Amino acid sequence: MNFVKRAWLNLRFKKGRTALLILVTSAIMLFVLAGLLIKSAATTATQQAKDSVGATLTLSANREAAFKKMRSSTSTTSGKPTMPKLTTSPVKLSTAKKIAALSGVSSYSATVSTSANAKGFDAIETSSSSSGFGGKMPGGSTSSGDITVSGVTSTASNSNFSNDTYTITSGRGLKASDADTKNVVIETNLAKSNSLKVGSTIKLKATTGSKSTYTLKVVGIYKAKSSATASMGPGQSDPANTVFTGTTFANTLKGSKYAGTADSVTFNVSTPSKVASVKAQAKKLINTSKYSINSDDASYQMVKASMKSVTGFANKIVWLVVIAGTIILALIVILMIRERRYEIGVLLSLGESRMKIIAQFFVELLVVLVIGVGVAGVGGKFVGDKLAQQIVSTQTTTTSTTNQMGGMPGGSGNAQGGAPSGQMGNRANAMATQKQKQTKLSTQVTPQAILLLIAVGLVIIFIAILVGAGGILRLQPKKVLIG
Amino acid sequence: MLTTEKLTYWYTSADQSLFKDVDLEFSAGHSYAIVGQSGSGKTTMVSLLAGLDKPRGGKIKFNGADIAGIGLSNYRKNDVAIVFQAYNLFTYMSALENLMSAMAITESKHKGDKAFAKQMLAKLGLSEEQMTKNVQKLSGGQQQRVAIARTMVCDAPLVVADEPTGNLDEENTDAVINLFQEIARDLGKCVIIVTHEPDVANRCDAVIRLAHKQFTWEKTIAEN
Repeated sequence: MNFVKRAWLNLRFKKGRTALLILVTSAIMLFVLAGLLIKSAATTATQQAKDSVGATLTLSANREAAFKKMRSSTSTTSGKPTMPKLTTSPVKLSTAKKIAALSGVSSYSATVSTSANAKGFDAIETSSSSSGFGGKMPGGSTSSGDITVSGVTSTASNSNFSNDTYTITSGRGLKASDADTKNVVIETNLAKSNSLKVGSTIKLKATTGSKSTYTLKVVGIYKAKSSATASMGPGQSDPANTVFTGTTFANTLKGSKYAGTADSVTFNVSTPSKVASVKAQAKKLINTSKYSINSDDASYQMVKASMKSVTGFANKIVWLVVIAGTIILALIVILMIRERRYEIGVLLSLGESRMKIIAQFFVELLVVLVIGVGVAGVGGKFVGDKLAQQIVSTQTTTTSTTNQMGGMPGGSGNAQGGAPSGQMGNRANAMATQKQKQTKLSTQVTPQAILLLIAVGLVIIFIAILVGAGGILRLQPKKVLIG
Repeated sequence: MLTTEKLTYWYTSADQSLFKDVDLEFSAGHSYAIVGQSGSGKTTMVSLLAGLDKPRGGKIKFNGADIAGIGLSNYRKNDVAIVFQAYNLFTYMSALENLMSAMAITESKHKGDKAFAKQMLAKLGLSEEQMTKNVQKLSGGQQQRVAIARTMVCDAPLVVADEPTGNLDEENTDAVINLFQEIARDLGKCVIIVTHEPDVANRCDAVIRLAHKQFTWEKTIAEN
């Protein structure tokens, strides 16, 4: 019989104390493992985010260059003052297709914005939109219609639909196959006020060119999550007057010279790390004095930042539990040694070495640790998932708030084909928030995690025993056993 | 076997020594009783002889070697077995496990020999059932017998007992003293018993009285 057997006999005899030790150790190990699993899951999620979140490149008119050109033409004009004219070139879809063929580009979607007049039905009128809206459309086209026409490759690829601001309530959204059709998706308030349903037809009259009237078939009705009327600026049309069509039809409304073009084209790059190289290759395919291509990996960066924060939090959990666990176990060991002074005294009187007595305590805690690790292994995933869910939820709320504050200056400009940067920023933020909502840290109890847990547990009990061993090393058997 | 040479001990200062320059000699195969009034220093002497404390002056020699040189831990492990008034058994073990444990720690030649341990316990009057019962479920007399059996299974030639009958009734006291005599005579060990009971002392081969800081032989081996 040696100290291992003695340790086992002691654990077996003092069932209550052993159960308490197992409970405490299991709790410590459970939280350490949860922390380790969250950390590992966050690292994996960050890695996966690189592949799944992706990044975007947006090809649009080079407005900066156009402004520069406009300013230089104004300054060089002498004599009579002339109205400055901003001339931008719409993006050619043929160029977009070449970029889409580049390695790393997974898909693309084009956006064409214009307006038309409702014919045979009434646009929603609000006090702020009584005067309609005017101004220059991207590409220089003048528009003054009461219906905003948003030409899209598909509604699913439109940011308003992808971030759930708009949802299809009836019928279906537009698909790539609707590109050359005269199918339309209208807003629910517009539909209700004109008794329109899926299958109904509406007529739109172009405000430019031949000013022809076109008949469109309603294939879907969408609902905006919240009324945007309140956020409308002066001169803006009611958002309920926004209809979605294919890009070809939107270009037809703008005029024949816009055929085969788009206001902007967004390319989805599957791997964020490839954004820079794809952008460089794309730049070679475009005339940079007319077009600009902007990269946006905000989604990835935001998920990465969020996961970094989660990892940091998980690290804090691990350290806090390890420190607290060590202190708790050390206190238990000290109390255990005080309680077992007579036993230690008898062992010393028999000539047992102090190191073997310390080893006996170590073995006792080791057995408890093994059971604790087993319990942690069983419950670690559950606790890890719950904790991770809580942390990610907190992170998403925090980041969303930051996004909203940071996204404000960009403005919407969606219907008006506003500045690409603003549109892009909003789209990226929306996508990032969406992705964050989708980011669920799924913890996995792996053999590596268990081995790491055992190592951490060993360090904890080693330190606890080291602290408690002072009592054994100082103990004088005479004082305990005699007198 | 065991000798003390000018053994001196004090607690607070050398001027207030408990005893000074004590020379005693203990032989194998005999039992010795150290008697004296409470507080006279009997227990201190037994702790020194058992290697549980270090003398302030002088030496304790075991078979001619200073026990300080042997190392108190080694001395306790190999040369001396101790019996306490409070039995001091491992409370989480059975009688048999207590013996097996002691045999393992002291690296007895019977280490691991369960049959031998059982034989010893049986010799001391414990039934098979009592042997495997937790020691806390045994009576005081039975527990003291287990403590004595522990000294018998170890190879230590010296047995030091501190008031071994202090917690026992007359019948058990008689049985325990008989056991110590057997250990001395039959096993050839040297048994030193510290006691305040004259009956217990009188049954030992020699009696040493501690009074006024002096040890005096009340009864010697030669007188037997």
